[in-house]
Amino acid sequence: MTTALSVVQSLSTASTPSAAPAHIDARNIAVDFVVEGRRHRVLSGINLAVPKGNFVSLIGPSGCGKSTLLKVLAGLINPTEGQVTVDGIPPRQAAKRRVIGLAFQEATLLPWKNALENAAFLLQSADDNVSKADAMAKAAAMLKLVDLEGAEGKMPSQLSGGMRQRVAIARALALDPQVLLMDEPFGALDAITREEMSRCLLDIWERTGKTVVLVTHSIDEAVFLSREVHVMGTNPARIVETLPITLAMPRNDDTFAEPAFKTAEKRLRSLLFESKRRPG
Amino acid sequence: MSEAALDTAASAPAGGAVRRPMPDAILALGLIAVVTIAWELAIRLFSVPTFVLPAPSAIIRTLIDSRARLAGAAVSTAVEISVGFVLASLTGIVIALLIVRFERFGRALYPLIVLFQNVPKVALAPIFILWFGFDLAPKVLLIVVIAFFPVTIDMLAGLQSVEPSFVALMQSVGASRGKILMRVRIPHSLPHLMAGLKVAITFSVIGAIVGEFAGANQGLGYVIEFASTQLDTPLIFAALIVVSVLGLAFYYVVELAERILVPWAPKFDTYRRVV
Repeated sequence: MTTALSVVQSLSTASTPSAAPAHIDARNIAVDFVVEGRRHRVLSGINLAVPKGNFVSLIGPSGCGKSTLLKVLAGLINPTEGQVTVDGIPPRQAAKRRVIGLAFQEATLLPWKNALENAAFLLQSADDNVSKADAMAKAAAMLKLVDLEGAEGKMPSQLSGGMRQRVAIARALALDPQVLLMDEPFGALDAITREEMSRCLLDIWERTGKTVVLVTHSIDEAVFLSREVHVMGTNPARIVETLPITLAMPRNDDTFAEPAFKTAEKRLRSLLFESKRRPG
Repeated sequence: MSEAALDTAASAPAGGAVRRPMPDAILALGLIAVVTIAWELAIRLFSVPTFVLPAPSAIIRTLIDSRARLAGAAVSTAVEISVGFVLASLTGIVIALLIVRFERFGRALYPLIVLFQNVPKVALAPIFILWFGFDLAPKVLLIVVIAFFPVTIDMLAGLQSVEPSFVALMQSVGASRGKILMRVRIPHSLPHLMAGLKVAITFSVIGAIVGEFAGANQGLGYVIEFASTQLDTPLIFAALIVVSVLGLAFYYVVELAERILVPWAPKFDTYRRVV
């Protein structure tokens, strides 16, 4: 059933490109977890359409299921109900075809490999046909993109938290994915490094035009980076509102001072606390 | 060179003193000297009979006088330890890999191994002697059954403690179980494995001595056993010293291997950390 549908969908994508279905398309997603024999609905009725090249954020209180939703989009969790396609195919296949790049809160670098080898590692693991030299060259280019030129030979233990996260992002980018899914990638970093990393990510997005979905619980970060913020509520998790961010591109230091920034920030804050006050 | 320098800089606490191993060694030797002198004085002061507790001077004399015999015994024991340790390590590693690679089989095997670990291994020595005679085989087998367990347990911990999100990342790009095992789990487990090997090498020394107690005609355990029947307490102590030095030497060989093979392993400098 699932395969049949997705085949139909990918066929229609191929024949009528002008219809331009969303690059990431999630319809009516529900996810149940079974804990100690009891079924819990952690996500319900999620509809999400991210057009190609867009930058969207998922924001919500802790435990609202935003990470779960991201894992569904990445193909790491199969939804109990609903359909997901990434670039017109099921996410698991999309990931295998290197359409999806992933970054998590923890950089999880391999301690026995240096920055360059770490950045090349996933690409080498994904495809045996990629030669070592090619993977290294790709990784070096991506390290340059995340502003780590010169640190290629350093071991993870010699890198700061921010630098490690940059290597992790370079590792995802080395796959040359069309879609970048990030689960609180800056969550473990201090405030100043976070802001640096936000700019770095914005820069990467502007230069590469990838479709980005960012899970965050920083209102600032969501507004500054995204074109669209999906606010999630709990019990069970669902998208309570989708807020378009109309701030001009390219964004920079002045963005923070714009009235539209303040308005969006205020709106998000009230939505987040409202969703917390009135669950379900 | 520069990398080594950086490494030291990274691992030393900010503003901490540069490592100076020499004073520690001198302190340790000084402590040994003080204890030895106090021991010697106490034996002379209270005229303790030699067969009860020999003075350090008597032990040293025996070490010198019986050096050929002790050296020969040390060689046989060292051979048993080496062969036993290598086989125990291989057994431990293979079991850990089997448990991780074949999950169902592993779930069945693991409790059996824990059960087996609770059999008092020392009590198996007479059976092994009965089966394999007085030669190398029963000692090696005893070492294997005593020393494989810490290797298996530590290696398993290492294989299984890879960050789940990293495994998810590998799986998402289509990497097979085997590939994840070879490229991620095994290298990740090496620091743990080395910790297990360090325990295993000390167990191997114990295994060799116990094996020789149970039935042997050579080796340091045999010397101790023989000396005790003769009430030759100085020879017992002399053999004990040789065993200890041998055990220490083996331990440091393993530690040296760790530093060469797994340079990224966390360095446990617990003593300094406490101070």
